[in-house]
Amino acid sequence: MKTLLARPWIWAWVAAALAFALTAAISQNQGAWGLAVAALTFSAFSVIVGLGQMFVITLGPGNVDLSIPATMTLAGTVSLKVMDGGAGAEVTGLAIALAIGAGVGLTNYLLILLIRIPPIIATLAASFLYQSLAIWSNRGLRVKPPESLAEFAVGRSLGLPNLALLALVLSVLAWVALNRAAYGRQISAIGQNPRAARLSGLPVEAVRLATYMLCAVLAGLCGFLLSCFSGGAALNMGQEYLLASIAVVVIGGSSIGGGRSNVPGIWAGALFLFLIVSMLNSYGLGAGVRLLMTGLIIIAIVAVGSRGPRGT
Amino acid sequence: MMNCKTFALAATAVTLACSAAADTSDKRIALSNNYAGNSWRQAMLTSWETVTGPAVSEGIVAAADAFTTAENQATEQAAQIQNMILEGYDAIVLNAASPTALNGAVKEACDAGIVVVSFDGIVTEPCAYRIAVDFKEMGRKQVEYLAGRMPDGGNLLEIRGLAGVFVDDEIHAGITAGVAEFPQFTIAGSVNGDWAQDVAQRAVAGVLPSLPEIVGVVTQGGDGYGAAQAIAAAGRPTPVIVMGNRQDELKWWGEQRDANGYETMSLSIAPGVSTLAFWVAQQVLDGASVPQDLTVPFLEITQDGLDEGLASTPEGGVANVEYSLEDAKAVIAGAN
Repeated sequence: MKTLLARPWIWAWVAAALAFALTAAISQNQGAWGLAVAALTFSAFSVIVGLGQMFVITLGPGNVDLSIPATMTLAGTVSLKVMDGGAGAEVTGLAIALAIGAGVGLTNYLLILLIRIPPIIATLAASFLYQSLAIWSNRGLRVKPPESLAEFAVGRSLGLPNLALLALVLSVLAWVALNRAAYGRQISAIGQNPRAARLSGLPVEAVRLATYMLCAVLAGLCGFLLSCFSGGAALNMGQEYLLASIAVVVIGGSSIGGGRSNVPGIWAGALFLFLIVSMLNSYGLGAGVRLLMTGLIIIAIVAVGSRGPRGT
Repeated sequence: MMNCKTFALAATAVTLACSAAADTSDKRIALSNNYAGNSWRQAMLTSWETVTGPAVSEGIVAAADAFTTAENQATEQAAQIQNMILEGYDAIVLNAASPTALNGAVKEACDAGIVVVSFDGIVTEPCAYRIAVDFKEMGRKQVEYLAGRMPDGGNLLEIRGLAGVFVDDEIHAGITAGVAEFPQFTIAGSVNGDWAQDVAQRAVAGVLPSLPEIVGVVTQGGDGYGAAQAIAAAGRPTPVIVMGNRQDELKWWGEQRDANGYETMSLSIAPGVSTLAFWVAQQVLDGASVPQDLTVPFLEITQDGLDEGLASTPEGGVANVEYSLEDAKAVIAGAN
């Protein structure tokens, strides 16, 4: 129990469970299960972009990817346009979405490395480029996803939403990469002290390149899935995920300064963000109160979480 | 519904009108637009190009350039307007980021002798012209329609737009007024869908478990399809969802109608209102007497007009109407 309380992600899970219980309490019959399914489905999107953002943030102060919304929009728009709603092009569509992610990640990294602009500015500036490309490629027209992909995105296996299962698989892979693979040790080392990491012979630049590409590829995948889920790509579809991707990392107990991250917290943060809005909506609170309370509760969780002892 | 004249006809009329006056052939008009990141705004910009392109090539005006700010910020748009003043445009057609925050820049433009015509996102500065949409009526009308369909009333779910934006407050006020007028309805739940299908889908899915049976969904446009998806995913019976003229919404409505006789209505502003603003600016430059405040009707699609509306709406776009000079003159004459 003591070791459990020492986990940095425990408070986010407590908060998510509380928000669930309070919402389920006023739900109609069968409502709690419906709420759980909805929470898992929509959290999957935040988890996928949150995992990418987590790796970037782990790289240390100033590392953050602000181009996630634009990358999602670009990947969703172009891949759906190429598939054009027809059967047989699903794999091509997915490959295009992932390739766009890889291209975006490479571009972001080159801007940071070659022009020496801080990542926060580089990714923000580049996001205007990606957004413009998305506008130019289809002028905001919504193309329907192929039937098979739409069915997969809203479907369930073993009673659980397909998207949540996919996000879970990605989370396990991310957990292995972070905690059991050399890659995780390397990004943590760079995040804790980039100079020491460089002097000890770590391939710092290669690791950073891989991390920005990984983040953008996950954003591309998320844009692809969200487009298939909600019946088409829209130019403003990624907007919510700019703050959400950072919030799930921070709420989940990862250090915003880098060097210390965890995967279970991403899920807690994503579930919490969905459930808190559902809870405040269910209790009939207006948008102003809702935003205020969401902000206050996030500050409270982060404050409590960062006070507790940390296993190092 | 508004009449959709073909442009060729309108252009002939324009050429005739111009041979009489032709006072605007050396005038330059700029479009100052605060946002381009959704399908409605893209359609608005496309309509602007479609109508002003021929107007420029035929010499009715010298230029009709469109500018969009990157960040949807009032400060950025104020700077953009100041640039337009320096560049010597004769008229600025404006879709404003804020009804009040641009008043200073708009006043500067007026003082420099520039005609300012605001539309959709209008400004309160008295020297500007306003082409306003009766957003309140857009909200009230939805409840009135539902009352006609379901005289016994019931619970409604309200999907609002982006919190803090003037349009959201106006439509909401109209819906509130509608519920006061038809007290058999109750707003059982309210969520913010931000005029985006995926956001609405997410918000509705989260609030549905705690809601009683819903008979109708009142919306603001761009959120009806997302609501329908969320309600279907929760396995609930489909209520009457008021749509917002997006093609995916109309298509879904048509499919439901063919499958089970589903009936609803759809209403929104036509993105082509930008072209009305263009012609109004041209008319003011031409010396016509134009009242400071004009109202443009919203575009409504009924059950009977669904097939026609679907046929004329581009795949993935928004139902639209583009205005000719004659239409603009009619709107001005109607207000005088």
